[in-house]
Amino acid sequence: MPYKVSNEKLTLREQAYLPEMIRGLGVTARHFLRNLFTRRDPAPEILDREGPCQITTVQYPEEKVEYPPGYRGLHRLVPREDGSPRCVACYMCATVCPAQCIYIEAGEYPADDPSAPNRVIERYPTKFVIDELRCIVCGFCVEACPKDAIRMDTGLHAVSSEERRAFMLEREALLRGPAVEHPSDPWRKREDSSAPEHGEKEAHRRISPRKNGG
Amino acid sequence: MPDDTKPRQPPEPQPRSVPPRPRVKLTIDDREVEVDAGTNLLEAARAIGVQIPHYCYHPRLSITASCRMCLVEASNSPKPVPACQMPATECLVVQTRSALVKEAQRATLEFLLLNHPVDCAVCDQAGECKLQDYYQEHDAQPSRLAGPKIQKEKRRVLGPLVTLDQERCILCTRCVRFMCEVAGEPQLGVFGRGSHEAIDTFPDKPLDSNYAGNTVDLCPVGALTNSDFRFTARAFFLTATPSVCTGCARGCSVWLDHFNGETYRYRPRENVAVNGPWMCDVGRLSYKPLVHDRALEVKIGRAGEGRTAEGREAARFAIEKLKPLAGSERLAFVASPTASVEDLLATFRLASEGLKLKRVFVSGRAADKGDRLLLREDRNPNRLGLDWVAQAFGLKVEPFERLVEEIDAERVKGVLAVGEDVPTDPKLVASLLLNLDPVIVLATNLGPVAGMGHVLLPSCPCSEDDGTFVNFEGHAQRFVAAYRTRGQSRPHWTWAATLLEELGVEVGWRSARDVFAELAPRVAQLAGFDWASAPGYLTHPRGLRTLPAAADARHGIHRERS
Ligand code: SF4
Ligand code: SF4
Ligand code: FES
Repeated sequence: MPYKVSNEKLTLREQAYLPEMIRGLGVTARHFLRNLFTRRDPAPEILDREGPCQITTVQYPEEKVEYPPGYRGLHRLVPREDGSPRCVACYMCATVCPAQCIYIEAGEYPADDPSAPNRVIERYPTKFVIDELRCIVCGFCVEACPKDAIRMDTGLHAVSSEERRAFMLEREALLRGPAVEHPSDPWRKREDSSAPEHGEKEAHRRISPRKNGG
Repeated sequence: MPDDTKPRQPPEPQPRSVPPRPRVKLTIDDREVEVDAGTNLLEAARAIGVQIPHYCYHPRLSITASCRMCLVEASNSPKPVPACQMPATECLVVQTRSALVKEAQRATLEFLLLNHPVDCAVCDQAGECKLQDYYQEHDAQPSRLAGPKIQKEKRRVLGPLVTLDQERCILCTRCVRFMCEVAGEPQLGVFGRGSHEAIDTFPDKPLDSNYAGNTVDLCPVGALTNSDFRFTARAFFLTATPSVCTGCARGCSVWLDHFNGETYRYRPRENVAVNGPWMCDVGRLSYKPLVHDRALEVKIGRAGEGRTAEGREAARFAIEKLKPLAGSERLAFVASPTASVEDLLATFRLASEGLKLKRVFVSGRAADKGDRLLLREDRNPNRLGLDWVAQAFGLKVEPFERLVEEIDAERVKGVLAVGEDVPTDPKLVASLLLNLDPVIVLATNLGPVAGMGHVLLPSCPCSEDDGTFVNFEGHAQRFVAAYRTRGQSRPHWTWAATLLEELGVEVGWRSARDVFAELAPRVAQLAGFDWASAPGYLTHPRGLRTLPAAADARHGIHRERS
């Protein structure tokens, strides 16, 4: 839409120039003094900030804007509730990774040790190393994982160190964050990998008719 | 012993030999095919390249037709019939792709997968599993099971080499039939009834047959797994290279499965003349020395006081020490029948022409118990080859005991050994070698004997170079390099060439093939053997076929496990 240019004549005061300029300086000085003498709300979300102070700067890295959900940060290996990794060392992430920066070695929980973390899924990663310097943060590994065992939801994206070695994240460093369990997880259905006692041997009788017509 | 005048080249795999039968003509998928009467429809279809999906059928086992995956429509039956059990008859019309057959295949798979735990992420078979393949091809629909799945034992240790996941089993009974019919040790059975049926061993009788490992190969799904290979590598990463088992004098044809320059397992490779499609467990585990305790550094000086060196320098040092003894009875040339024909040709040339020796003492692994099927008492893969090569170079073959006697009698002063395997206690041999000087050892693996070498030249085994083994029946078999040599290790023939050059003899060998081309004509028995066309030799030029890690370079035979 075109502007409507007002061709009003300037008043005398405006024509004198100086008073208007002083008025403008006053506005600047008002902002300056307010921001100088009032406390800045450090909330990282600018729109949420309260108080008279109007500075919109985010003082990174002391203050950080929260990442949107789905943002890909540093990896983590998701733990189960007992603290063992959900990962079963299936190598899907290592296979799909275009940067080839995931290294896995698989092992087997001993069959006869009841204190071994989880005896329904015997396989687990004895070694799980991600070279974060080589990672291109594509997130393919998260997509490929069939067990929801690797996530990039740590919200960390600018980890720094003076040595390259510090970026070779080992299993112990990766295994962190809140535990995740799903109803479909096999260890919720049985105690260990031995055959469970079947109350009723006949399979067709164990399928109870579903209530409410399914 | 067989006649050892000519090497016999194993013929290409052929279906089970049957007495001549009348031929019949039938039509499969609108194409006419002529086969022997009585051939089953599955094989008849295969003859014209029509693949019928199947689980329980195996050409070497009896037919049970229990999986029903091979259902086809045949003109002599109102209902679909299992192709594996149906004999071909004259004028039969067979449909393998009709709507009825497709529906039958889909329904069969749905039933087979009904209680399957779908734990492909954990399963060793993923990547070579017929359930995965056929699901993609014939079913591809989500499960419609409403109730919980039947749970069975997921980790049943059946024996020293086999672990069973009963949940994944589709009860095709290939394993049971194999143990009864081929291994002759019926150690497996089907127990239970209905959906609770499961494969198991008999109480207190483990699956400890020497052929138990074959059941793992036979199992079309991930139920039977190899406890040794279990969880070490994903099958889809492995590349298979045709090789020969070095476990005994039989020399079974095998696939050497490797990844990133490391061998992970042996699997039998069909070779009718030698091993059929099987191999024994002793051989299956004989890949281990290819990986563990390898000699990878050239060493001058005995273990403990030695230093690493460059190959050329060590060779010069060795020749300096050997030269004064050249042509004398006081220098003993020891060769192991675990080395390939090419290695022996080159080292025997070094011994006979370079060092003017007249005798060869044969070391190698000690004999052990054999069995009636494949495993031989002689645990060396190339004894006959060694005899042939020794004959060609006019070297007198002497047993190892003779060497021990001569060392005891102080008639031997120095030793040049090709291979570190000895038929007696290696520590004992090491103590005998202690007083000798020089001891020059070409060794693939570290150990007491290799440690005794004043010069240790590390050699590579059959996984890292091309070569030939001659089995006890005189079958010459080629093996192919799977990956590059490790560390400073080189084939025996390379060291022989370096030593010969230090002696002032020029040799122009650049590969095992050159060695064979130059020296094999001296061996009368190898006259008919064509190095390049031997079975298992994939026609590739010099060097390795380098492949990206994830490439599926497996041979067609591997994918179609019949
Ligand atoms: S984010 Fe991409 S590059 Fe990084 S580890 Fe995962 S798959 Fe590899
Ligand atoms: S264990 Fe394997 S070979 Fe044996 S019956 Fe089950 S599926 Fe067949
Ligand atoms: S029924 Fe024919 S292959 Fe199983």
